[in-house]
Amino acid sequence: MEIIYSVFSFTFLAQVFRMMTPYYLGASGANFSERSGVINISIEGFMNMAAFSFAVFCIMTGSILLSLILAVIVNILFSILFSMFTVTLKINQIVTGVGFNLLIAGVTKFLMVFLFSSSSNTPRIFVGYELSDNITAFSIALIFISGYVLYRTKFGLRLRSAGENPWAAESLGIKVRQYKYAGVLISGVLSALGGIWLVSSQHNYSDGMIAGRGYIALAAMIIGKWKPVNIFFACLMFAAFEALEITLQISGAEIPTQIIQMLPYLITILVLIGFIGKTKPPAADGIPY
Amino acid sequence: MKSNFLSVFLSLAFTFIILTILIVVIGKDPLEVYSLIYTDVFTSGYGIGQTLFKATPLIFIACGLAVCFHASLFNIGAEGQLNAGSFVIALTALQLDSLPLVLAIAISAVAGFTAAGIVGLIPAIIKVKKGVSEVITTIMMNFVILALINYLMVDFFAVKSTLRTVSIGDKNMLGKASDIFPFFEGSSLNITFVASLVTAFLVYVLIYKSTFGYKLRAVGFNEVASKYIGIKVSKVVIASFFIGAGIASFAGLNFIFGYKGYYELGFSNNIGFTAIAVALLAKNNPIGIIFSSILFAALDYGGLAVNQLIPKEVMLVVQGLIILSILSSDSIVRNFYTKKGLV
Repeated sequence: MEIIYSVFSFTFLAQVFRMMTPYYLGASGANFSERSGVINISIEGFMNMAAFSFAVFCIMTGSILLSLILAVIVNILFSILFSMFTVTLKINQIVTGVGFNLLIAGVTKFLMVFLFSSSSNTPRIFVGYELSDNITAFSIALIFISGYVLYRTKFGLRLRSAGENPWAAESLGIKVRQYKYAGVLISGVLSALGGIWLVSSQHNYSDGMIAGRGYIALAAMIIGKWKPVNIFFACLMFAAFEALEITLQISGAEIPTQIIQMLPYLITILVLIGFIGKTKPPAADGIPY
Repeated sequence: MKSNFLSVFLSLAFTFIILTILIVVIGKDPLEVYSLIYTDVFTSGYGIGQTLFKATPLIFIACGLAVCFHASLFNIGAEGQLNAGSFVIALTALQLDSLPLVLAIAISAVAGFTAAGIVGLIPAIIKVKKGVSEVITTIMMNFVILALINYLMVDFFAVKSTLRTVSIGDKNMLGKASDIFPFFEGSSLNITFVASLVTAFLVYVLIYKSTFGYKLRAVGFNEVASKYIGIKVSKVVIASFFIGAGIASFAGLNFIFGYKGYYELGFSNNIGFTAIAVALLAKNNPIGIIFSSILFAALDYGGLAVNQLIPKEVMLVVQGLIILSILSSDSIVRNFYTKKGLV
């Protein structure tokens, strides 16, 4: 009974909205990238890179704002590299994504040991809840921002045309590759904020702290059918699962948390099969241009 | 063929240069590091043994992946598949401890192969029936399978307050290579390494010398065209996923029968993703995979050897650099040859 009470409480709801943040940032980022036609499966790696560099810069500089900017810049650099691979060199996007995930996992693990002589976590970072709350607020605003940018601006129209039919877009004089670069770049910046949120709410960086959130973000994007509002609800659902998992763990109930852990992925597979509505990615998603 | 060698050479050279720069930047002597890797990995029987021991699972998994990759199927799910297979191998082996070792291993291997194969079948069937790309489904399957195994382990099979199964017992373990060749004294190298070489050879024959392999490569090269010459694409997709995932499960034979004697959650340590890099470096050629696996294993073990000078995790960076540089040098070399009209 107590579990049911704790689930239907305001604190629980607030927790769900907080936990939604990294999912929605990652998923919106992935959405911008896929709308431009580039599948980015290294959202997980991008989040990891930004989380780590934010933690390092915080410890080095002591300034939260400066660290945030620097961490975003690091991710922009990685995004540019990712675009060079997938757009300029037209290398397979999936394999590139796997490669970036491996490289970033390696870089962060190596620097952890090198800088902090610890393979598990950094020293504590004193970031107030202000930053993580602001990022959460931004991610809620992002529903409207990304909807507006994608559907109400020239930039969004052209970005989407690059992902739907790049050949037609190019014939109309749209510089398709620039829009693909832009799409990947936005995914890098937004997933950076997702990683920074994790660090600022957990007050340190620990190895493996992203824990599949980048992949859940991809799942949310698919379930949300590449539409900002739908993606938001998918993220809320996954965040509710996560919050429920924690509530159950604390309450010591006899419900196996592993089953809840696998739900996001299982639901995604069911959605892809077509059990829960039809999904259709951008037409030229994943095709090098 | 020539362009393949060129791009592999370029990427390894590039990685080597970056690594050297990295070592200099953190204030260590690259010569010292390299000579330490050389003496530890290549001049001692223990080092060679450990390298080949670590190469064994990579060869199995990368060969399995190569089957899928040749059909242009991006199987990112090796991690889940090999864990499902290894888990079943351990459970089966535990039931068979009264049987002769060879028989117990054979039955466990078949059971593991089937279990992993079934896990591989799910994305294959979804792809064939619903036209859903295997990339996302295999990634999602990784998480589903690992959570499922975690649940089964914690609630049913694991030894209390650990994440491993009961041990199959010493008498059911494979002997170490050092029992016959004292040269490998202390290393965990065992006969499954030979089995991995045989597997690589068989997969080579399967891909390049069999009718199935011809169909496999045809589908990978041009799905539409192969449909028109009468190849049943969906059958090829399903078969290659089943076989590919199944082979990956043999990684568990090395760990369970040759090393620890039990299945442990997390034993794979993301080797299912590393194997993607291994297969890629070898251009999905099983014979090449033997060498790229040994290279990656040498890096892994070499990391331990130099840990006193630089953190061993540097080798994870190197592995990441190799996969990205082979991708880019492939593309650059291919463009170069195309421009010169050599291809």
